[in-house]
Amino acid sequence: MTVKVFHAELGTAVATGLLGLAGVIGATELGYGWEESGPQAGYFPFYVGLILIGASLWNLVAAFVHHRQAMAHVAGGGDAEEPFLDRERAGRLGIFLSALLAFVVVTLTMGIYVGSILYITWSAWRQGGYRLPLALGVGAGFAVALYLIFEVIFKIPLLKGPIEPLLGIY
Amino acid sequence: MGNFDLLMHGFGIAITPMHLMLMVGGVLMGLIVGVLPGLGAPNGVSLLIPLTFALDPTSAIILLSSMYWGALFGGSTTSILFNIPGEPSSVATTFDGYPLARSGQSTRALTLAFMSAGFGALLGVIVITLLAGWASNFALKFGAPEYFAVYFLAFAAFIGMGSAAPMKTLVSLAAGLLLASVGMDSVTGSIRLTFGFEDLLGGISFLVVVIGLFGIGELLSTVQEGLRFRGVASKIDLRDVFKTIAELPRYWATYIRSGLIGIWMGITPGGPTAASFMSYGIARSSSRKGAPFGTGRPEGIVAPETADHSAGSCAMLPMLALGVPSSATAAVMMGGLMIWGLTPGPMLFQTQPDFVWGLIASMYVSNIVGVVLVLATVPMFAALLRIPFTIIGPMIVAICFVGAYTVSNATFDLWLVLLFGLVGYLFSRLDYPLAPLVLAMVLGHKAENAFHQSMVLSDGSLGIFFANPLVSSIMVIGIALLVLPKLVSLGSRFRRRVPVE
Repeated sequence: MTVKVFHAELGTAVATGLLGLAGVIGATELGYGWEESGPQAGYFPFYVGLILIGASLWNLVAAFVHHRQAMAHVAGGGDAEEPFLDRERAGRLGIFLSALLAFVVVTLTMGIYVGSILYITWSAWRQGGYRLPLALGVGAGFAVALYLIFEVIFKIPLLKGPIEPLLGIY
Repeated sequence: MGNFDLLMHGFGIAITPMHLMLMVGGVLMGLIVGVLPGLGAPNGVSLLIPLTFALDPTSAIILLSSMYWGALFGGSTTSILFNIPGEPSSVATTFDGYPLARSGQSTRALTLAFMSAGFGALLGVIVITLLAGWASNFALKFGAPEYFAVYFLAFAAFIGMGSAAPMKTLVSLAAGLLLASVGMDSVTGSIRLTFGFEDLLGGISFLVVVIGLFGIGELLSTVQEGLRFRGVASKIDLRDVFKTIAELPRYWATYIRSGLIGIWMGITPGGPTAASFMSYGIARSSSRKGAPFGTGRPEGIVAPETADHSAGSCAMLPMLALGVPSSATAAVMMGGLMIWGLTPGPMLFQTQPDFVWGLIASMYVSNIVGVVLVLATVPMFAALLRIPFTIIGPMIVAICFVGAYTVSNATFDLWLVLLFGLVGYLFSRLDYPLAPLVLAMVLGHKAENAFHQSMVLSDGSLGIFFANPLVSSIMVIGIALLVLPKLVSLGSRFRRRVPVE
C-alpha cells in the first residue's frame, strides 16, 4: 500500500473542513446572532468554523496546484515526489497501530495494569525477540512501578479491571 | 518595593530544602522526557500536572518549570550524541553538534551546548526580572478589548511569523479554538457542540490533546522511520569541560546576537524553535572565515542553544504578565495555573507576589542546577536511548495513556489520545504546526470572553478594537505581523522575476 502526499493533503484538508462544518452546524443550532445581552452562544464557534472551512478549502486548492506542478515536473523528466507512506513504512505503522488499538481495548476492559503488562510483554517478546519469561518480567516490573508511583506515593487511583479486586487491590 | 527587593524575597521562597529537591527532581525528570522520543517538554509537563494537585501552586510551578529546563537540556543531548532532536527546538543543534561529536569531541560539543543554554536562560531570566514590574503595570491598563487585541496579536504572529504555510497555521489555530468551545460555555451557560455525546459535556481537555499530539504522534513518526539509534560515545572528560569553558569568551558576538534574538522571539510569540533556527541562520550568514557551518563549527552550537533557552525562559514573561504564552510548553503551564485556581495576568503580580517572584528566583537557581546536573548525568541518560525501542516504546505509550487517564479519570479520554495521536502524526508529516492548536485550546475561552465583553461594551461594533491609541496600536501590530511577512516575500519574488522575463 502506497499513499501519495497529494492524497494525504487532500484527506487532511477535507477532514479539517468537515470539522469546521460540524462547528458551523452545531453553532447554527444554538443561534449565532445577537440578543439583548450580546452575541448568542453560537456566535464565536460559527465564525471560527467558517474560517476553518475557508482555510481548509485554500489548502485543498493548494494541494491540487502543488500536485499539477509535481506532475509537470515528472513529465519534464524530473524525479517523482517521495510518497507519504511507502509499503515498508505503512507495514511498520500498521503493526504499531494495531497493537496500540488492542492495548486501548484491553485497558478499557481489563484495566491499565493488565493492558500494559500484555502490551509490553508482547512487544518485547514478538517484536524485540526477547525470551518470554524475560519479556513478562519487564512488563510486570513496569506495572509494579506504576502501582508504586501512582497509587502508593501520589494516591491517584488508575483504571482497574475485574482482576485487581481478586488480588485485594482497589 | 523595587524589582530587586522582590527578587531577593523570591530567593527566600525558592531556596528551601523542599524547593531545591523539587528543582533537582524536576530537572532530572525533564532530562528523561527530553532524551526519550515521544516524551517532550509539552507533554512531559502535561503528564506531570495531575500529580501537582497535591502541591501548593508555588512548589508546583517550580517543579514544572524545572522539568521544562531539564527537557530543553535533554533535547540538546540527543541532538548532539544521536543526531536525534529530542525537542523540535533543538533541531538546529544537530547541524553542527552531531558532526563535532562524531569527530571525537563529544565532551566539547556537549559543554558548548550546555554552557550556551545556561547563558541564554540566565539572560532571559534577567530580562524577565527587569521587565516584570513594568509589564504588569502596563497590562493593568488593559480592558477586554485590549486583551482580545493581545490574543489576536499572538494568533497573528503565529500565522505571519511561523515557518509553516500560513493557511495551515490558520487551520491549526481555528481547529484549536473550535475544540476549546466544546462543552459548557462559561459566558452564556449553554452546552455547545457536543452533538448529544455525554462524554463531551465537560469539554475536551487540552492536556489530553497535548499528550496525544506530541506523545503518540511523535512515537508514530519514530516507528515509521524504523529508528535505529547510532550514538556517539558519551563519556564526559572534566579536563575537556574546563578547556571548553575557557574558549567560550571567544564567541561573545554570537552569544550577544543569539541572546537578543531569543529574547525577542520569546517575548513576541515566535517561540524557541523559530528562535533557534533564526539564530543559526544569522550566525551562518554573518560568519566569514573558518570551516563552513554544518561540519562541526562551535558557533553552530552556541547560536541555536543560546537563542533556544533565552526564548524558552522569556516565554514565561508574557505568560505571567499578560496570560499569553508564546510556546506550547508555556501554554500547558498556563493551563496548569488556571487548574490550580490562579489567573495569569497582571493581577497575579499584585495578588500572588510570592508565586511570581518565587518562580522567577527559582529560574535562576534551577538553570544553574540544570547545567551542573546535566554535565554530571549525561552518560547515564544517553544510556536510556540504548534500550531497544521494542521495550521503551510500549512503556512510553503506557505512560501517555496513564497520564491522560489521571487528568479526569475518564475512559473516553483514552480514545481521544489515540485520535489526537493520529492527528499529530498526520499534521507533523504534512507540516501543519502543532503549537498554535495547543495555544488556541488554552486561550480559546479567554479570547472568546474578551471578544464577548468587548462586543457587549460596543453594542456589536468592531470599531471598539480601534477605539483608543492603546488597543489600536496592538491591533495594527497584529495586522502587520499577519500580512507583512507575506508581502515582503511576494515583493522580493516580484523583483527577482522582473529582470528574468
